[in-house]
Amino acid sequence: MSVNPIRDEFRAALARGELLVQKCNDCGKLNMYPRHACPHCQSLSLGWQQVRGRGVLHSYTVLRVGAPEGFDQDLPYALGVVKLEDGVQMLGRLVPDAQGNWDHYRCDQTVEFQPVPPEQKTPRACAWFTATSL
Amino acid sequence: MSDTWPLNINAKSPNDPVFIGIGELPSGKYPNRNFIGDLTHVALLALKDAQMVPRDVDTILLIPNLHSAFDQADLIFSRMAEELGLIGHLKSSFMVHSGGSTSDNATRLASGLIASGHARTVLVLQCERWGSADVNEMVTMLSKYGIPNEWEMPTGLQFNAIGALIQRRYMHATNSSAADMAAVCVTLRKWALLNPNAMYYGKPLTVEKVLSSKVVADPLHALECPMLADGAVAFVMTSAENAKRRGLDNTVRVAGSGGCVSHYSVGQEADLGKLGWATAAKRAYEQSGWGPKDIQIAQIYDTYAAVMTSAVEGLGLCEPGEGARWFASGVADPGGKMPCNTNGGMLSAGHTGVGGGTALLVEGVRQLLGRAGERQVADAQRCVVGGTGGSYMDAQVLLLERAGKGAQ
Repeated sequence: MSVNPIRDEFRAALARGELLVQKCNDCGKLNMYPRHACPHCQSLSLGWQQVRGRGVLHSYTVLRVGAPEGFDQDLPYALGVVKLEDGVQMLGRLVPDAQGNWDHYRCDQTVEFQPVPPEQKTPRACAWFTATSL
Repeated sequence: MSDTWPLNINAKSPNDPVFIGIGELPSGKYPNRNFIGDLTHVALLALKDAQMVPRDVDTILLIPNLHSAFDQADLIFSRMAEELGLIGHLKSSFMVHSGGSTSDNATRLASGLIASGHARTVLVLQCERWGSADVNEMVTMLSKYGIPNEWEMPTGLQFNAIGALIQRRYMHATNSSAADMAAVCVTLRKWALLNPNAMYYGKPLTVEKVLSSKVVADPLHALECPMLADGAVAFVMTSAENAKRRGLDNTVRVAGSGGCVSHYSVGQEADLGKLGWATAAKRAYEQSGWGPKDIQIAQIYDTYAAVMTSAVEGLGLCEPGEGARWFASGVADPGGKMPCNTNGGMLSAGHTGVGGGTALLVEGVRQLLGRAGERQVADAQRCVVGGTGGSYMDAQVLLLERAGKGAQ
């Protein structure tokens, strides 16, 4: 795997239970996914902003068969595109309910980053989101 | 960048690029065929259709395959020049690639080469061996293509999940039912029953059958996912002047095109229920002077129903939010007012990788040339072709019309 500090810093934060969004040190805008130059102002001076990870679930699916190589043991699992309140968006995993279902999720509902991911056979370097209890 | 720009050519221009011939081999599982053999045979079919021989071609454009990097290298390094007896004769042979929208971009590229004079006659070739490839290998490959390895691959994303994210959002935004979505698959199957080259020729399908198949990635059922297929298509383009000189009166021209790259990562798409179709359509309509009412048939990339329903909405062929119910009404069926994917599309003719979009383009040209046999749409003059690549990263729209003596 090639050297990629941006990826490594993002993943290290996830492992600490933090969700980072890239922030341009020059124009101050947020970028997701993190880039190698600011797509807004082309600055190379880029840092991070920790976010709460609250957002709206744009869409989601539960994959039941046909996992990529190395993901078979995770099946079934749910993926969702989350539009964060900070104005950027990302793909993550969705936390199931106590019975292992995802029936309580709906498009456009509020979800939140879960700092401690649920117990997994193989930990994944991705963000987990859960339905907020209102 | 301005949203509008005029074409530098028109139907009267001698250098107006036109389609003059098409070729196709049956799509499905054909373990007894092989890659270079299929490419050779489909090339000769298209050239025969254009009343040409290989020596009439000066440029070959290759559409990629996804089943093998080694076979891909054969295409890149001019193997087909040797196979077709064009060594020392052919000016150039190279590949163009944007995944599922390659055929749209290959058409643009061939058009530009012809209109500018860099090429006179271009042969575009495609072959895919997905149906005979190792399924697990292909699933693994498709879980790595078009997905950012740093940000999305660790989630376990794959192609059916991408289709499901699009379909879920579309269904939520438009209040479309599972039966409405399944109706799109049934429309496509009705067309495939008229296409002997289709993978599912002779195999009828019902909404009930779709909905009783197992759920693979909610809300997608197994029968709503495309089946990987072997297949090959080819087409020939030349200048209007050259076509006329050769006595080819029946041709098809490109009235305009539009495109919109709306994301790379599926997680970065602003609206998964809409994708880039409306912007691409607006650009194509502005370039051509056409509107939705000018279109008589549509051939649109259809790996999943919602990709197609969002497209017919973005193109203005139906009311916003009504795409799936529009299909359910039968309007896109054989005999309907707006025939769609008259070869059966990728969901019923077979998913030949990058070639699925190419088969749809060739079907559009076939209909306008009046060579569609049993499924010919009477007096089809104008057709829209829609393509999209990767994780539906772009929407590409070509507006095709009859040219030469057949034009009205």
